[in-house]
Amino acid sequence: MKVTAQPSADTLTLLLDGELDASSAIVLDTELAKPDILNYRKVLIDCAKLSYISSAGLGVFISHLQRFQDANVKLVFFNMQEKVFNVFEILGLDALMTIVPSLTEAEAA
Amino acid sequence: MSALSHSGAGPWLGQWPQWSTQLTQAAFALSVFLYYRYQPSPLHGQQFVKLLKRLLTGPGLLALGCVGLHLLEVAAQDEPVFSSNSLFFTTIYTVNLGLFVIFLARTNYAWRALVLFRASPRLQKEWTLFEVLLGATLLFRLVGIDPPAYIGTPIVVLLGLFGVYLSGHQKWVAYLSQRDKWRAVLLQAGLLLGVLIFVQYFRVTQVDPQLIAPRPQYAFLLLTAFFSAFYALMGLMVTFFNLPISDIVEQRRNEILRLQRLTQIIQRGQTSGEVYRILLESAAQTVNADAAWLDLDPAHTGVEASQATLCLNFSPEQARELRARLTTYDLPEGEFITNDLHLRPGFEGTLQHYRSLLQLPLRGLHYNYGMLYLLKEEPHTFHHEDLSILQTFTGQAVLSIENLELVQTSLANQRTQEELKIASQVQDSLIPKNLPTDNWFDISSHSLAAKEVGGDFYDFLHLPGRRLAVIIGDVSGKGVTAAFHMAQMKGIFHSLMQENPLAKNERDKFPVPSKFMAQANTALIHCLEKSSFITSSLYIIDYEQGGFVFARAGHCHTLYYHAMREEVFYFESQGLGLGIIRNDSYEKHIKNQFYDYSPGDVMVIYTDGIVEARGGDGTDEYGEDRLKLRLEESYFQEAHDIKNFILDDLNAFTSGHPIHDDQTLLVIKFKSAQPLP
Repeated sequence: MKVTAQPSADTLTLLLDGELDASSAIVLDTELAKPDILNYRKVLIDCAKLSYISSAGLGVFISHLQRFQDANVKLVFFNMQEKVFNVFEILGLDALMTIVPSLTEAEAA
Repeated sequence: MSALSHSGAGPWLGQWPQWSTQLTQAAFALSVFLYYRYQPSPLHGQQFVKLLKRLLTGPGLLALGCVGLHLLEVAAQDEPVFSSNSLFFTTIYTVNLGLFVIFLARTNYAWRALVLFRASPRLQKEWTLFEVLLGATLLFRLVGIDPPAYIGTPIVVLLGLFGVYLSGHQKWVAYLSQRDKWRAVLLQAGLLLGVLIFVQYFRVTQVDPQLIAPRPQYAFLLLTAFFSAFYALMGLMVTFFNLPISDIVEQRRNEILRLQRLTQIIQRGQTSGEVYRILLESAAQTVNADAAWLDLDPAHTGVEASQATLCLNFSPEQARELRARLTTYDLPEGEFITNDLHLRPGFEGTLQHYRSLLQLPLRGLHYNYGMLYLLKEEPHTFHHEDLSILQTFTGQAVLSIENLELVQTSLANQRTQEELKIASQVQDSLIPKNLPTDNWFDISSHSLAAKEVGGDFYDFLHLPGRRLAVIIGDVSGKGVTAAFHMAQMKGIFHSLMQENPLAKNERDKFPVPSKFMAQANTALIHCLEKSSFITSSLYIIDYEQGGFVFARAGHCHTLYYHAMREEVFYFESQGLGLGIIRNDSYEKHIKNQFYDYSPGDVMVIYTDGIVEARGGDGTDEYGEDRLKLRLEESYFQEAHDIKNFILDDLNAFTSGHPIHDDQTLLVIKFKSAQPLP
């Protein structure tokens, strides 16, 4: 699992590459837990290369959800593979998080 | 040799056959030597000093007997009866000769034991040859012809040289301890003295005109006496010159013994405190330090800060003072020797009499356990060789400590394993063993945890009015944490599914599934860590109404076979997992779904451990589609057979892959109404 951060003016894009499971969840958590991440208006998660997400991986997003909302930072997922989207959907997260098909929609969101 | 020839029998006895005296002498010498030859070896184990002592206190005292008899003889000279009495004189001479032969035989065979101590077979053969040749010299006199000097003398000299060669075999000396060496030197000197007394006696009496006995077996006695004396002399010299070397050998041996002691500690299961104490004492003894102390690092050794300093001939206060002074010098972290402590400023006062200091860290694999300090009063007394032996000591001590830690860790692991086993048993008792039975449904269940304990759970509860509550759930994560939350969820289920006495109508006495989920979510807010969540589905099946209501809180979709439509499908319903939203707004994210069932319908409830089970190349998942196909093929069977049919297919799919998530599978089959018995 590789996490690449691409900051721009008011948006931070995180590229996830690989399987997000219990061991790689720590890497992502470290990235999301950085205090200055709340200075961005938007955090975009590019899931194009995310092939699998476990409950521990979901837990990372869930644990930061409230913090992002409180700081008025928008968390947007895009380019999500169907298999991964199913996991979000079954858990009911699709109603709670913004999941859009592509970068264009993500930037517009 | 022949020059020493004697004229033979005296006139007093008349014509005494000389050959008979000589034969008796030879026979006596031969029998005494043979007697001692076949005695058991006088050497027991490595008790060399004991052997020498017995030799001196036994045959050695015969020399005193010889002196005593000689003094008696001198005293008797004044008596007219004995004065100038050749017979008396000769008798004493003969007795002394006998004593000398016994002395020589004992000594020779004691030396044999020493020569042959750990000897090669070749040396043993050489010794036997020496014995045979010595025995042959007895024949010199017996055959009656004295060999001429030009033959006899070289033979005796050659045999003497043979004895010298054999005297070189003093291997036993190396096995003596320092103290025993001194004793051996004294004992051998005593034996030498014994030989000299005899020799001196015979030298004097041999030329006395009163002696009327025939010449003794000169060559034989001379050679054995020479060998006895020379071996003792060689042994004495070797022992004596070995003394300074043995000091070093002794020291090395002590070092090895101390090292062994350190090594054995771990096997005796002693504590780290004892290891440190022995290290301190051994190190100080090895380099003869006058004082020593050991500073342990409380962070890495687990000792109390107040007990982190071990002292030897030194007080903790002195250690503190000296350490404080040393820190001002900014010493290196590692090994350090200073041999002129007294010349350095800052070391005046009470500690001034310590002039040499050696500092050595206790190096572990990852960190230093502490620092060892050794002190001597004399200046210039620590050397770099001291460092190397001390490093072996500290290395061994650290090894012992690390081994102790390993043993303790493995014990702790064992305990954890035991506790996990208990936890596993406890959790097993939380899973319902007796499935509910009634004539309108049929249930079969399966559950398997990926580790000792798991996060999957399911439970049943009979409600009044022929209703049945069925719950299934999955706590995110695995192992012990998940198991705790699983137990919590079971508790929440049983406490929330209680009859509410304040309810206005029958329907509200028990919470509907969505209400239950909302309440459970609230209950879990306070006990679930932020990154954990629980997915669950609750079904309340009402037989009288012929329907069920359920809510899905993020859990896997329910698989259903509709008998009348002959169709297998997944319920598509919305619902958020528990513990994700931690406020009252959760209720908006969960919905009830009502459904009427008909006899023959089959409901398959499961956790994601089933559909996400890995097979194929390790990335393929079992999947909802495959599960659905299996139900299409087996819906007509009993619940138990449907479950097994699915599990067999699952096992075939995952064969060769470890299960990585807990698996739970429930199959409920509705039946047509049977009259109650």
